[in-house]
Amino acid sequence: MLAAAALLLLVAGVTAVAVGTRDISVTDVVHALWTRTFHVPVTPEELSTQTVVWELRMPRVGLAVTAGAGLAVAGVVLQGLLRNPMVSPFTLGISSAAGFGASLTILFGQAGGRGGITLVASALGMALLCAGLLLGLSWLRQASPVTLILIGTALTYLFQALTSTLQYVASEHQLAEIVRWNFGSVNAATWGQTVAVGLPVGVCLLVLGWQAGRLNAIAFAGDDAAHALGVNVARTRLVCSLIAVMLAAVVVSFTGVIGFVGLVAPHIARLLIGADHRFLIPFAAVTGSLLVLTADTVGRTLFSPAVIPVGIVVAFLGAPLFINLILTRRRQFL
Amino acid sequence: MTADPGATERAVFEIRGARSRYAMRTILDGVDLTVGAGQLVGLLGPNGSGKSTLLRAVCRIHRVTDGSFRLGGTDLHRLSPRARARVLAYVPQGTPGPFSLTVTEAVMLGRTPHLGLRPTRTDVARVRAVLGLLDLTDLADRHVDELSGGQAQRVLIARALAQEPTVLLLDEPTSALDLRHQVETLHLVRALTERRRLHTLMAIHDLNLAARYCHRVAFLHEGRIVACGPPTEVYRPELIERVYGLPVEISHHRGAPEVRPGLLPDSAPFPTG
Repeated sequence: MLAAAALLLLVAGVTAVAVGTRDISVTDVVHALWTRTFHVPVTPEELSTQTVVWELRMPRVGLAVTAGAGLAVAGVVLQGLLRNPMVSPFTLGISSAAGFGASLTILFGQAGGRGGITLVASALGMALLCAGLLLGLSWLRQASPVTLILIGTALTYLFQALTSTLQYVASEHQLAEIVRWNFGSVNAATWGQTVAVGLPVGVCLLVLGWQAGRLNAIAFAGDDAAHALGVNVARTRLVCSLIAVMLAAVVVSFTGVIGFVGLVAPHIARLLIGADHRFLIPFAAVTGSLLVLTADTVGRTLFSPAVIPVGIVVAFLGAPLFINLILTRRRQFL
Repeated sequence: MTADPGATERAVFEIRGARSRYAMRTILDGVDLTVGAGQLVGLLGPNGSGKSTLLRAVCRIHRVTDGSFRLGGTDLHRLSPRARARVLAYVPQGTPGPFSLTVTEAVMLGRTPHLGLRPTRTDVARVRAVLGLLDLTDLADRHVDELSGGQAQRVLIARALAQEPTVLLLDEPTSALDLRHQVETLHLVRALTERRRLHTLMAIHDLNLAARYCHRVAFLHEGRIVACGPPTEVYRPELIERVYGLPVEISHHRGAPEVRPGLLPDSAPFPTG
């Protein structure tokens, strides 16, 4: 099932590279990659195809795939750790914090557009600050999952209020910029961004794969029973929640708020493959990638040459799919 | 004294001087208790008497200020958490989460202290054996949240057995079950204890069921064991009245004592019209 999903992702990836304002055939895509990789001399027309494929479409696909994977995995881990199906990086305030950080730079700094280094740094800084507050407070008070979720919700509102305050004083141009950032998109993706998101996602997937058994014990047996099963509950909790919030923070800083994926991709994956984290984590990564990639491809081809931000399309695609899955499931959901 | 199998053979599970304070309140005030191999010991006492705390203290979920927990020559609290989990299994009161595993996956959780990165053939074989033993084979692929209370309780016990423990701790395994499933569960726990020579310590509320299924019972009162032994010897009206603050009558039925609660004293609070 995981292999099938990975194959589907590959097909979707190639399709996404091929379609667009200028449709390129799959053979031309392969040819462009071939000539690019092995520095085969090409005609000017082939060179322009190569540039579109390599400089525009590939990084875009790469960022969509890695961002989707990162958000979905963060969602899976947070839902499992907090034993709550309604948790996502968005509900814990991380996305709103990143949004506030980005807005700050747009308002006061010289924003280099989406993906500009100051903007990303400021978004990431705020997201990490929020994550630190969240984990720190819950650590200090030994808070229960519900308390943590409540703190997260409060932080979400706080950072949204801060962003609104900035919007209130922003100029028309800045306001538009802030709003656009908050839609969340993979426009203007570069290889640098893909690597910057892909590297942490890859590393975190490996670490989580190694922690999956312990995560299972905490998520399904509860803290006490997990302890009695020989799991260091405090350490596992800390490591996994750190990883999850870091992942979400990194992704959101580059793409803006793609809220829905972190909530819905874990559920879709769970409905399809079951709740065992050993399989769920990689499968959710692929599910999240597919969701974001498909949404982005649809968003830029539907009203081409206009591009609808992926953050919007994801909800249009994901919500009906999710509701359908819940309703058609024979077993009661959750 | 009734049969006390295993008290002398093999190692004895022994709690000595367990003390614990929580939020300025003494919960355990020097608890001494021994459980022999093949012996099911019922831990009795009113709410808040420290039954759960004692069980949680044994598997170090709850930290004690003082006390030793030994199995034969082994100090259980000197073992690493993983090594301890291969000796000691704990069946908590059911805590259903929002997500559920299949029965096989849930029982596989019990292999956690034996597990590497993923289950080996041995792990799968052990889980299959436990499922067979507890008559769960037909339910193996069902989700835990689809099961009845009794079946779900069997899954929790199966998970504990998959740990291949020597000492088994159960926290009120019958509290959420109907009469038939209460009896089934206790029968199962006793049979497993005898057949696998486990040292089993079980917190339980129902005095009559405890009398029928436990080899020995221990009464916890204000953080101390105030009586311990076979139910026929330990169940005395004065003792139970002191522990629970309620007069009781005790009769004997088919060799087991039966406790009938008496009337509350007139001074007891009553909702008035």
